[in-house]
Amino acid sequence: MTNPILELRNIRASYGSIEVLHGVNLSIGRGEVVALLGPNGAGKSTMIKVVSGLLRPTSGQLIVGGRDVTGAAANALARAGLCTIPEGRGIFPNLTVRENLLMATYSGHKLSDIEERTYARFPRLSERRTQLAGTMSGGEQQMLSLARALATNPVILLLDELSMGLAPLIVAELYQQVAAIAAEGVSVLVVEQFARTVLGVADQAVLLAHGKVQVSGKASDIGEDVLAGAYLGS
Amino acid sequence: MNEDRIQTFTEEIGELKLRGARADRERWLLILGGLGLVAGVGLAIFGGFQASGTTNLGDQVAFLATGTLIGLALVIAGAALFIRYSIARFMRFWLVRLVHEHRSETDRVISALKEIETKLNK
Repeated sequence: MTNPILELRNIRASYGSIEVLHGVNLSIGRGEVVALLGPNGAGKSTMIKVVSGLLRPTSGQLIVGGRDVTGAAANALARAGLCTIPEGRGIFPNLTVRENLLMATYSGHKLSDIEERTYARFPRLSERRTQLAGTMSGGEQQMLSLARALATNPVILLLDELSMGLAPLIVAELYQQVAAIAAEGVSVLVVEQFARTVLGVADQAVLLAHGKVQVSGKASDIGEDVLAGAYLGS
Repeated sequence: MNEDRIQTFTEEIGELKLRGARADRERWLLILGGLGLVAGVGLAIFGGFQASGTTNLGDQVAFLATGTLIGLALVIAGAALFIRYSIARFMRFWLVRLVHEHRSETDRVISALKEIETKLNK
């Protein structure tokens, strides 16, 4: 891979005195989808926090666009184009779809442009534009969070547990959208507990367990036996 | 995505200001809280002793204001910091223990399943 857009070098991170990540390495190229897999408590969400700038690592380097940005503020990274969709969707449930999209205009884009692009990508949101976001189905809420993220024209997209609480059919549909987003050149890091759903669209996969990378390589090379080993600890 | 966007992104990243803050801020706040608590108690006692050791009303007020009142404020602020971060540490260790127990239980279930599988294959 030439010139990765995002790189983690020997990252260690802790909550107080409890170290959660014990020297993690990761590299993402332009337009690449990397799946970050692992069981509960493996450190996946912590890694997303480190990459997004919400948690400062105790040691190691976070390289974005070729520059060491370890310790950069999360809002500055987000403004530059590193967008995070947190676990639990991160939408405003008491606002309508349109008002949620309005919140993304802070990035300097016009609401009309954002709406046009969003409704072209997610026609279902067009039908729900005046509906309160909190009253939509889980899949539609996730679509809205994706749309809001894309409105900021991100270069790197971090997705934390996209499939949480959703039906497998909806998840497959959402991951097709993720693949389409990556095809446009956006680099995507997807954190996922349910490996099968994401491996179909990922280029690379990284298996994390007990805060360490157990296996990393092409997503197609990650077999059931490798997954079972990492998830069940056998 | 066009090259211009990547170029803009790289430039903006290049202009980012980096914080020099340490990652173990929580530990330092806990220590600061403890020190504030001890210093506050000491100051309050010192102020009280000094105030009782003089008959001059002006000196008494000054000792009480600078010693006892500041000491008490330090005690309250220090205790708040100390309790806040002590509880956070305790809750975190508790969570780690739960995760550890959960993993041990999974290991036990897997070994039991393997044992059953071996016996069934015999």
